[in-house]
Amino acid sequence: MEPKAEVRQFVQELLSRKGDRQPFSDSDSLLLGGRLESVDAVDIVVFLEEKFHIDFAEVGFDQTLIDSVDAIDSLIQTVKK
Amino acid sequence: MSAHVGANPEVLASHGLSRLADFRIIPRIETYPRIVEFVQKLAGKLLILALFGAGLYFATDDWLPLTLCLALITFWPSRRRLLVTVATLIFTFAVPWTKFPHPLYTSTLILFVIAIGALLFWCAVAWPRSVVGRHPIVVLLIGYSLLIAFAAYFPNTTRLYLTVWDFTYTFGIYLWFIGYSLLDRRSADRDSFSLQLGTYRPFWGSTATPFPKGASYLRRIEAKDPRQLAVVQLKGLKLLAWSLMISVFSKYFGLFLHDYLAIPTFDQTFYRSVMHAPYPSYVCWASLASAFLEDILVMCVWGHRFIACCRMAGFNALRNTYRPLSSRSISEFWNRYYFYFKELLAEFFFYPAFMRFFKSHRKLRLVTATFAAAFFGNVFYHFCRDLKFIATLGLWKAITGFHVYAFYCFLLATGISISQLRASRPKPSGFLRARVVPVISVALFYMLINIFAYLGRDYPISEHFRYFFHLFQFNS
Repeated sequence: MEPKAEVRQFVQELLSRKGDRQPFSDSDSLLLGGRLESVDAVDIVVFLEEKFHIDFAEVGFDQTLIDSVDAIDSLIQTVKK
Repeated sequence: MSAHVGANPEVLASHGLSRLADFRIIPRIETYPRIVEFVQKLAGKLLILALFGAGLYFATDDWLPLTLCLALITFWPSRRRLLVTVATLIFTFAVPWTKFPHPLYTSTLILFVIAIGALLFWCAVAWPRSVVGRHPIVVLLIGYSLLIAFAAYFPNTTRLYLTVWDFTYTFGIYLWFIGYSLLDRRSADRDSFSLQLGTYRPFWGSTATPFPKGASYLRRIEAKDPRQLAVVQLKGLKLLAWSLMISVFSKYFGLFLHDYLAIPTFDQTFYRSVMHAPYPSYVCWASLASAFLEDILVMCVWGHRFIACCRMAGFNALRNTYRPLSSRSISEFWNRYYFYFKELLAEFFFYPAFMRFFKSHRKLRLVTATFAAAFFGNVFYHFCRDLKFIATLGLWKAITGFHVYAFYCFLLATGISISQLRASRPKPSGFLRARVVPVISVALFYMLINIFAYLGRDYPISEHFRYFFHLFQFNS
């Protein structure tokens, strides 16, 4: 599975765990838009650490880096390089 | 379909419930296409500004300059961010000029603090590998702590004593605003300092907590086209109306509680407890519950007003307080009650701790980060904010006298940690177990720990425990 698809699936699971079954696009702001909370950001961080070996202590954490599927995908691509 | 609904009482009941749940005191005018269309036209803009200005008239003394600044931004959206800076400078220096006891002196102090903020920002951007570039928040917070210590031990017989304290106080007001600027240093689309300045106690209002966070957040939530601006402004108008309604309700609710029902305030019941002449425990329960509800209402009034003005300026910020009494967990309430304070603690304390410590121990990692924010961050924020205690009591007494609030933060952090660790467990089913019991438990938890949310230094923790035990009639 492509990283972006994996990320999308994970975010979808996260939203549905909160009872949010509204559709979302890859560019939708999820954290800053209020659909996900800081606790959910933690889940995303752990997912990215475990799945894509991203070390946020090194990259520097900012909520905007994981605010949307597109942003997360772009972060994964940047770290890969 | 409608015939089917009409024939089935259960479906009819659920349909009725869902209609009830969808009921809004203020209709969702931002979803009405014709209204959104109208607000994009000149007449619509003038009307919404007039209505907003009229609302502000009942909410703040500075309604006129605030409305004029919002009008300027509404009619010149391409320069919105720069105009926010201009409006913020007007509200920093010009609007309160006559209220300052010594206008030139106060303005000079503010300018000096802003200059330090600019210097830190510039250093962090220019030298990303230096200590300031890598750990600007640590430098800022340690620097400010040292400034407080310096002020506390500065000889009070010298002429500079008051100036040192005034400067420390002024710096404290801007501390977290400068912090948010520094957090923005690594962003690819980082704003220049002139735009960052617009978020330093922005003209729409703020406490020591930045509303709504910093420049990075403003960039993300800014209206991108006339339609988005119309929608955001309609949401702003609605929120201001909501704030005014809550303000009126809060006033009469207070009169009903304290005059009609004669429930004493929490301070009154606490004082009687300290005097060893407590009210009956049921009166203390009533005063505790009323204080809890009144706190939420007051928080809604000013928080909604700040965010309403921010939205009117074209930024689709989230509400500061959003249905806190519907929270089913302690961490959910914490998120809903004072959102921007929670965000401050998350950005400056929670995430840095979470990214660095105990990475291989998931639960310990979460608990450590939660304590870094809800305990350490909370204590640090309030200790540095209430400088008058340090100035009057001295540093050591101010620290030791703060043990009651530190205990409150400890209880809070423990509650949030447990709540977060339990979040992944399956939720109970049934209306009573899934909704009623959790909501009441959460309210009860916050009501009870509020006994210890004491920022003064007059009463030791034993007095707070006395009050707590009296509620359960343990010491009567």
